[in-house]
Formats: sequence, C-alpha cells, structure tokens
Amino acid sequence: MTTRRHGTLLPRLADRIGRVLEFLWSGWAGLAAMCLLAAVWQAGHEAYGPFILTSPVETLQAAAALASDPRAWALALTTLQRAVTGFALAALLGGGLGIVAGYSPATMRLASPLVTVILGVPPIAWIVLAMIWFGGSDATVRTVILIAALPVVFLGAARGILTRDRGLDRMAQAFGAGPLRRFLSVGLRQTTTTLFPGLALALGTSFKVAVMAELLANAGGIGGALADARTNLDIANALAWVIVSVGLLIAVEYTLIYPVKGELDRWRRAAQPWGIRR
Amino acid sequence: MNALNLQGVGHAYLGRTVLDGIDLAVATGEIVALVGPSGCGKSTLSHIAADLIEARAGRVLRGYRRHTMIFQEPALLPWATAEDNIAFSLKLAGVPRRQRAARIADTAARVALLPEDLRKFPVELSGGMKQRVAIARALAVHPDFIYFDEPFTALDVALRRRMQDLVIDTCAGGQLSGLFITHDLQEAARLADRIAVLDSHGKGVLGIRPLPSAPAERTDATNFDWVQSALASDPLFRHIHDVDERQIT
Ligand SMILES: Nc1ncnc2c1ncn2[C@@H]1O[C@H](COP(=O)(O)OP(=O)(O)O)[C@@H](O)[C@H]1O
Ligand SMILES: [Mg+2]
Repeated sequence: MTTRRHGTLLPRLADRIGRVLEFLWSGWAGLAAMCLLAAVWQAGHEAYGPFILTSPVETLQAAAALASDPRAWALALTTLQRAVTGFALAALLGGGLGIVAGYSPATMRLASPLVTVILGVPPIAWIVLAMIWFGGSDATVRTVILIAALPVVFLGAARGILTRDRGLDRMAQAFGAGPLRRFLSVGLRQTTTTLFPGLALALGTSFKVAVMAELLANAGGIGGALADARTNLDIANALAWVIVSVGLLIAVEYTLIYPVKGELDRWRRAAQPWGIRR
Repeated sequence: MNALNLQGVGHAYLGRTVLDGIDLAVATGEIVALVGPSGCGKSTLSHIAADLIEARAGRVLRGYRRHTMIFQEPALLPWATAEDNIAFSLKLAGVPRRQRAARIADTAARVALLPEDLRKFPVELSGGMKQRVAIARALAVHPDFIYFDEPFTALDVALRRRMQDLVIDTCAGGQLSGLFITHDLQEAARLADRIAVLDSHGKGVLGIRPLPSAPAERTDATNFDWVQSALASDPLFRHIHDVDERQIT
C-alpha cells in the first residue's frame, strides 16, 4: 500500500518518534497506578503479617534474586516459549479459520456452535485431557493455550471479514483486482480492526493459561516454580514469579502487539485533533 | 467497433427481475448518460457492464482497453493516504513503481488536489476532496472507458460544476468513452453526447436522444433551454423524476 519515497520518510519517522514519546508519557500514569497498588499491598502486609503477604520491597528483592539466577531465567524462558508458540498457533489457526468463516456463511454456521462448545468447556478439563494425551510436555501447554485462545481470535477474524466494507471490495474489483488481490489488499486489512483486540486478549490468555497448565501438569516453567513456592510456603517467591509472568506478558505485548497496532492505526490517529500532524 | 455494447441484458436479484431486455451501445469517444428514476436498475446495469456482477441474460461486448469506475461514494481505503489511494489503481494496472509518483502528481493537479492533501488520510479530507481523490484514482491509469455511477450527487453545487467541467475537459480529446449514470437531467445535458432513458421498472431502454452539439461547445443557456423543452415536449423524459414505487411497497 505504501509508496515509500524520500519525501514521506521524514514525516513518517517523526510520527513514529511522536508515538513513542506519547507512550512514554503515558508511562507516568502507569507508574502512579503501580505506586497505588504498592501502597495497598503494604497496608495488607502490615495488617496480616509476612506469612500471609510479604511486603512489596521483600517481593521485589525476591524478584531481583530471581533476575540474577540463570536457572530462573531458563524457567521463565520455557514459559515464554510455550506461551508465544501456543499463541502463534492460536493466532494462525484461529485467524485462518475465522477468515474462511467470514467469507463462507456455511463454514460460519458450522463453526459457531463448535466455538460455543469450546468456550463452554472449562479450561481445567482441557488441561486434564492434554495431560493424559501428552504428559507434562510443551505439547500439553500449547494444546491448552490453543484451545483457550482460539475462540477469541476466530471470532475477531470472522467479525472483521463479515463487517468489512463491501463497497471497497466492489471498488477493488472495478479496478481489476482478482479475488486474491481483493483479499490481500482490502479484506485482510479490514479484519485488523476486530482481529487485533482478539489477538491482544488471546496473548494475555496464553500467558495465564501457560502458567496454570504448567502448575497443574507439573510441566516446569513458571508454573512449576509456583508449585515449588507453594510447597515451601514461600510467599515472597510466589509473588516474585507472579511479577515475572506479568512482566513477560507486558514485554511481549509492547514488543509484538502494540507496534503493529500503532502502524495499522496511523489513519485513525490522523482523525484525532491531538494526533501529530504531518 | 463500439466501446461498449449491451445486447438484451437482463438481471434478477433473488428471483425479482430488475433489468430486462436492455440494449445500449456506447461509441468510441462518446459519453452516454443513462438517466432514470432511483431504483430502476442503473447501478445494476453499470455493474453488469463493468463485469462486477454477471448478467442473467444477454451479452456484454467490450471494445475498450481498460475501464475504471467512479462511485457515488468515494470508496477510498481509509488506512491509505490520498496518494496511496491513487497509487492503488496504478498498482492494479501494473504501472511500474518508479512511474507512479509522477502519475499521481499529474492527476492530482488535474483534479486540483494540493501536494499536502495527498499526504492526508481520507478522514482528514472533506467530502469534495475525497471524491476528487476517487476521480484522480480513476483517471490516473489513463483508462479509455469510465463508468460514472452518480459520482457527483453528494457534492455541493459549485463543486459539482467544477467536477463536471473536469469530465468535459477530460473527454474533449475524444480518447475517452464513458457511461455516465445520473438522475439529474441537467447534469446529463451538460456533459453527455447522448442521453439514454431507462424504464422506471428496468424493462428496457425507453429511448435515446442525441444532444445538438459537443459538450465543450455548450453553454448554460443552451443546456437549460434543451432540458426545459425536453421536459415539456418529449414524452421520453416524463417519468424520470418519479420515485420507485417498488421500494415503498
Ligand atoms: N444486492 C442487491 N440485492 C437485492 N436487490 C438489490 C441489490 N442491489 C440492488 N437491488 C435492487 O435492485 C433495484 C435496482 O437497484 P439499483 O441498480 O441500485 O438502482 P439505481 O442505481 O437505479 O438506483 C432496486 O430495486 C434495488 O432495491
Ligand atoms: Mg444507483
């Protein structure tokens, strides 16, 4: 879609830098929210004592200890790898099926009851099944993630195709675009509006489900470390692992989802009066 | 050979016949205006002619090389800037990347779009500017046939006149043919070589009237007189301002 030339490179760069600065500025609000959370946490700690809730400082110290421990890094990377691969599977499969269903009403009619069924089965049941099939391996965790994250991606993709502007399809056809070109240049781009919220949701689900599946299937990773912390009644460590998994999710979200979304939503920002104008 | 030849074209939506037995020819270098009340099947006919939908009956013979289309609504890609929207048609037409910038600049100048407008997204453009981008998109690929589907209906009077002038200028060279759909007889009389009237139930072309001179030579006064006398004395134009009763029932 883009005709990149020297004339447009500089404003585009400025636009991107502006976006990063805006994002950093919004970080202050995030920091304030974190401070508030820490204050409430500290109050809880003082009310119930260190055996129920360790103080935020101790927890951060535990997290810092984890950060300097290569074995902890290996555990975190295991979970990260499983969550991201499971997410990728769900994104590809759910996105692909959703797009097909969006174009084909018959597929949609067939798929939507299935989605309802999948959504209705509690995730814990899938974990049990996956444990029986695959034991405590990567495949167990990936399967559970796939099943848990698939419906939102599927629905996001299908909705995007269904609610697309048919006038644009017609326009592309009138200018000589065949079905594939129409899909690639017009259809696919329009699904992003509904697909992206679905993907962001699926990514969060992937991390949560990964940790849960690891814990229950005894499959190592952060979930395994949490199970150990529970056995040792080590509250500081358990909370530190929670912080690590939240941190991982945030890191992936801001490196994977948001840059792409920012790129895709440039035109929406242009409509906002406070958007940085070229 | 004619640029476009429709022979006995018919169409039905979900079993309801909307077009039947349409015969219409557009000679090379000629603009034929197709008028008729709203809902009589003008858009459907243009979509059949432009191969967007398949006719249920009849034959469509195209003698032109490349067509483009201007719709009632701009139909711009909202995520692409004005110049990328114009580039869209160039890309589909296989114009090499290095030539696109020059083509875009040329065409934008013809429709009076400024270079800074070209870098804006459709949401940042006014309705008239959007439609001008759509016109530029259609002109940029140098088509030899253009389908106009009520392209100026949404524009205000002054802008509509300017866009009509643009069409008249563009077509004056004789290289371009077109089918110009409108329900505004005044507009048809301004820029067409011949005016065809579609039956208000889509049952054939009721008749075709040639206009007395080339569009570029006409004045507002001659156009006005022609329309007045046509409405007063030509039975062909009696029903063109009717509304479609089928849509009400
Ligand atoms: N996709 C469609 N499905 C069913 N009916 C349609 C469709 N498009 C148009 N029609 C009907 O066909 C008739 C002709 O429509 P159209 O060609 O858009 O008329 P016009 O452009 O002259 O206003 C109208 O009665 C309209 O309701
Ligand atoms: Mg119409």
